[in-house]
Amino acid sequence: MGELTFAGIDGIVILTVFALIMLVIGYYSGRGEKNIHESLSGYYLAGGNLGIIALFFTLFATQYSGNTIVGYAPAAYRTGFSWLQSISFMTIIIGVYLLFAPRLYVIAKKRGFVTPTDWLQHRFNSKGVTLVAIFLMLWGLGNYLLEQLVAIGQAVSGMTGGTIPYQAAVIVFVFVMLAYEWMGGMKAVAFTDVMQGIVLLIGIIAFVAGGVYLAGGSFGSITQFIAENEPAKIAVPSSETNINWFSMLVLVGLGASIYPHAVQRIYAAKSEKTLKKSFARMAWMPLLTTGLVFLVGIIGIKLFPGLEGDASEQLVGLMANKIAAINPFFYWIMIIFFGGIVAAIVSTADSVLLSFSSLISNDVYGKFIKPSASEHRKVMVGKIIGIFAIFGLLWIAWNPPGTLYDIFVLKFELLVQLFPAFVLGLYWKRLSSTPVFWGMVIGAIAAGILTLTGHKTVVGIHGGVIGLAINFIICVGGSFLTTSSAKKNPVLEEDMNAVYIKA
Amino acid sequence: MNKEVKEPIRKKWIWIGLFIIVLGNVPWYFTDSMVEPYILGVPFWGFFILVFSVILCAYLSWICLSQWKIVEDEEEGNK
Repeated sequence: MGELTFAGIDGIVILTVFALIMLVIGYYSGRGEKNIHESLSGYYLAGGNLGIIALFFTLFATQYSGNTIVGYAPAAYRTGFSWLQSISFMTIIIGVYLLFAPRLYVIAKKRGFVTPTDWLQHRFNSKGVTLVAIFLMLWGLGNYLLEQLVAIGQAVSGMTGGTIPYQAAVIVFVFVMLAYEWMGGMKAVAFTDVMQGIVLLIGIIAFVAGGVYLAGGSFGSITQFIAENEPAKIAVPSSETNINWFSMLVLVGLGASIYPHAVQRIYAAKSEKTLKKSFARMAWMPLLTTGLVFLVGIIGIKLFPGLEGDASEQLVGLMANKIAAINPFFYWIMIIFFGGIVAAIVSTADSVLLSFSSLISNDVYGKFIKPSASEHRKVMVGKIIGIFAIFGLLWIAWNPPGTLYDIFVLKFELLVQLFPAFVLGLYWKRLSSTPVFWGMVIGAIAAGILTLTGHKTVVGIHGGVIGLAINFIICVGGSFLTTSSAKKNPVLEEDMNAVYIKA
Repeated sequence: MNKEVKEPIRKKWIWIGLFIIVLGNVPWYFTDSMVEPYILGVPFWGFFILVFSVILCAYLSWICLSQWKIVEDEEEGNK
């Protein structure tokens, strides 16, 4: 992010106000609700009682982080119109939810699930599957959290023109986040998401308005400029780009929908009606977020031509400086916008941390170390280990990697390997635990090796998608060769049949 | 028992429809010359992709609201 010379002390004031609002919301979410700290479902799922407004905004603010702006605008700037794919791959996530969320919601409510692992344990009853799943999820969440920590620091120090140094910025916001999360759990996370999501939306819309104004007022003049100077960014995409586009749809669609914190939002919904209404609204949000961010990147091609690599990553900061210089109104809007970016990053980080802690509480501690412990104690263990994990990751974050987008794809490669177990397991009774285990392990290793050896994509197809294909083949082929696991378990069979019997 | 249970996974047409929209949403079917004419300042192929993106949003939003109803009546009845 660029040095935002325009902000400085005003930026600090806005950030302080935002931080205080978050703390107040956290305090009121936790106050008077003794249940929050005494039960896993109370702390991690807000008692499974989130209404439409909180659920929609927590889905929104969790899915769209500050990176969606800070990382995607430069991506649009570098690749041009083929970055229109960012609208489709964020929308397709809802399509993938429709594959499994309706039934998972019913079973999760009936059996009182807290984490995604609860479903896998219920379905496969296999230590191997449970452990590999926990490992992949903790890895994915840890990586995601790390990315948010890096981004918070860059955004804040950029916004305050370096007045607040990178490290101090991260520490302050991490403490704010830990404090409200400690007080209110999922309820605090969801309620702060309402405020964080609204600020972000207002900011993006104002940003695009300012950008179009600066670039001459008409979108046609921008594309004309691109056609004359950088025709490749406007050309019909090559067939490799198109294959990559399809691959992105598969990778992001399948990967993002089974993010542990995303799945937990299905569990936390108050009712089916609330859940489907929230998803129906979410289906439109890519146009308002990644769509507008795409526009920002395209406008940037005209405003700041010729930026490459790391320099292009500064695009949002550079544009914000220019927009802020238009008049005092835009100046303040830009400061709020940058506060919004920080809020969006925090709102994603808090959800990921909460999910991370829940995996520790409910799965690692609650299933393997001390299943007999009280729920209060399990919640405590998760909270405390979550804090240790944050500071461990901070230590890594002090040396931030270059391009944000690279780490974004890396976490999907491994998480997406949970998909066959998670979704195929909902409908196909024959699917059995041994092939699922080996499918996940071999798929994850294949994806990891391809990525680490520099073959992030092969002919445009992502390593994670190739690993997933291998994983699927092992799951399906292996299940035909072994006997079914679900049929021996009457409770499970009842759950899997429930929807059919009703119809 | 309630006969109005709807679960998206069991309706094939939903997924065939989604597949067709996704096919239209990736620009594999354009030739290199299809940058022009510009429509509202957007290159010809990009405009089509944008239209399909809007259709995708609308389609999924509508499916959520109209084709998904498993325990809703039961839950709302209990209120």
